[in-house]
Amino acid sequence: MIEVKNVTKYHSGRPVLENISFRVPGGTNLGLIGPGGSGKTLLLKIICGLVEPDEGNSFIKGQQVQGLGLAELTKLRFDIGLLFQNYALFDYLNVTDNIAFPLRQAGKHSEEEILKMVQESLNKVDLPHIGHQYPNELSGGMKKRVGFARAVIPQPPIVLYDDPTAGLDPVTSSKIFLFLKAMKEERGVTSITISHDIEGIKDICDNFVLINRGRVVFYGSREEIENEKMPLVRQFWQGFSADTLG
Amino acid sequence: MAQKKSADMSAADMTIEQQVYDDEPGLLSAFFAAFGEPVVYVTRTMKELNSLFFITLKYVIAGKRRPAEVIAQMHEIGNRSVVFIAVTLGFLGMILIYQAGFQAMKITGDLTLLGALFLQLLMREFGPTITALMIATRVGTGMAAEIGSMVVTDQVDAMKMCAAEPIEYLVVPRFIASTIMVVILTILAVLISYLVGSLTAYTAFDVNFRTYFDLSFISAFDVGIGLTKALAYGMTIPIIACHAGLNVFGGSEGVGRATTQSVVNASLAVVVIDFIISGLGYVLLALL
Repeated sequence: MIEVKNVTKYHSGRPVLENISFRVPGGTNLGLIGPGGSGKTLLLKIICGLVEPDEGNSFIKGQQVQGLGLAELTKLRFDIGLLFQNYALFDYLNVTDNIAFPLRQAGKHSEEEILKMVQESLNKVDLPHIGHQYPNELSGGMKKRVGFARAVIPQPPIVLYDDPTAGLDPVTSSKIFLFLKAMKEERGVTSITISHDIEGIKDICDNFVLINRGRVVFYGSREEIENEKMPLVRQFWQGFSADTLG
Repeated sequence: MAQKKSADMSAADMTIEQQVYDDEPGLLSAFFAAFGEPVVYVTRTMKELNSLFFITLKYVIAGKRRPAEVIAQMHEIGNRSVVFIAVTLGFLGMILIYQAGFQAMKITGDLTLLGALFLQLLMREFGPTITALMIATRVGTGMAAEIGSMVVTDQVDAMKMCAAEPIEYLVVPRFIASTIMVVILTILAVLISYLVGSLTAYTAFDVNFRTYFDLSFISAFDVGIGLTKALAYGMTIPIIACHAGLNVFGGSEGVGRATTQSVVNASLAVVVIDFIISGLGYVLLALL
């Protein structure tokens, strides 16, 4: 469903991603982990065509993303939801209009249906009464849940989550992970989840990729990562700071 | 050994990065690079602006109609600039009439053509150009900063992920609103400057209003060239400002850079367009 093949990206002549390759089969969730600044968010943006790689390609549902025209890319993006690390809510729109934005853009539903779907979506993320509020009136956790609602409201078969629990309290974090689990189990969504909350994503991801300094240092299932002997992988998976990462 | 191995490596064995960074630029290369870099930058920027202009035009003609957004932008660009434009052009009218009257009194002592010539100058030159420079300062910076902030907070990427085209959503309403409002503001600016000039002429030089409000020098050419300039400035300012905003990188520092770039480029563009339209206008006038 999602495939990344030999992706390399340079910044100021220095490779920030180097020869990255992995596959995410349909209906599974891949955990993308690694130290901060290792290129995870950049990789997510390359996968959905927001950033062009210098080498290699990404494939969504067998279709090569790089080289697509604007119309084809727009069509492909109807099938992808992206939850941004810093929410990326439109600050000039209220919560209802933010969540309704992708639905209005798709033009498949009447305004009445859209408002009903938005309200259902807000109920699901436990924020039923904030539709009239603007993003600057919300807390970080609320923004994250609104961002989540906006990413998944068109029911895309693929969702990319960029650090969905960053900066959130443990209760809100566990709620977010429950949403992610429900997306996979109830809707069969294929997804990639970037997270530094290893305990949280252990239970929701089928496979894991560990990136360090722009390179894949581990790619395998949960069982494999738990039994991996490589010190860097063990250090990251178990979260101890015996030595500097990498 | 390692050095020998490196030296033996042919260019084909090396990556592009190795080839680029292993070759130290010579003095001559550095000299040409210093001249070439701004040329490349200007050429690339011109290409991008050109492309943004034509994509915007395409959406203006065939895109979704969003009148509420256009009206909101017209209010932001037009209504909120009225006082600023009125005060600036009002003072400019006073200063120009006083200076022109003072010089004329010293040389000929004849002030009968003061109002007529001032109106011609206002319509052809000062009205549209000064208004555009003011709009580039007040509105262009705002557009660049607003869109730039959206870029650094990933809102523009979020728009793309919602299958929306940022040019259609962000540039088109500003382009339409600016094109309409710069023309309206220019007409207003000319009227205010001319009226304030009449009061100055009356107070300082005793020029009566009947003499001052002489429209005999004004032709369709003057009106046409003034409106053409206003229309061209109204289209150029949002394109330059939005281009600066959409190309922001590097966080809040980048937003600051974009606003500066926007006001500098838009002001330069206004002056260059003024020169081109005036030149073409005089060629046309000579041909007719």
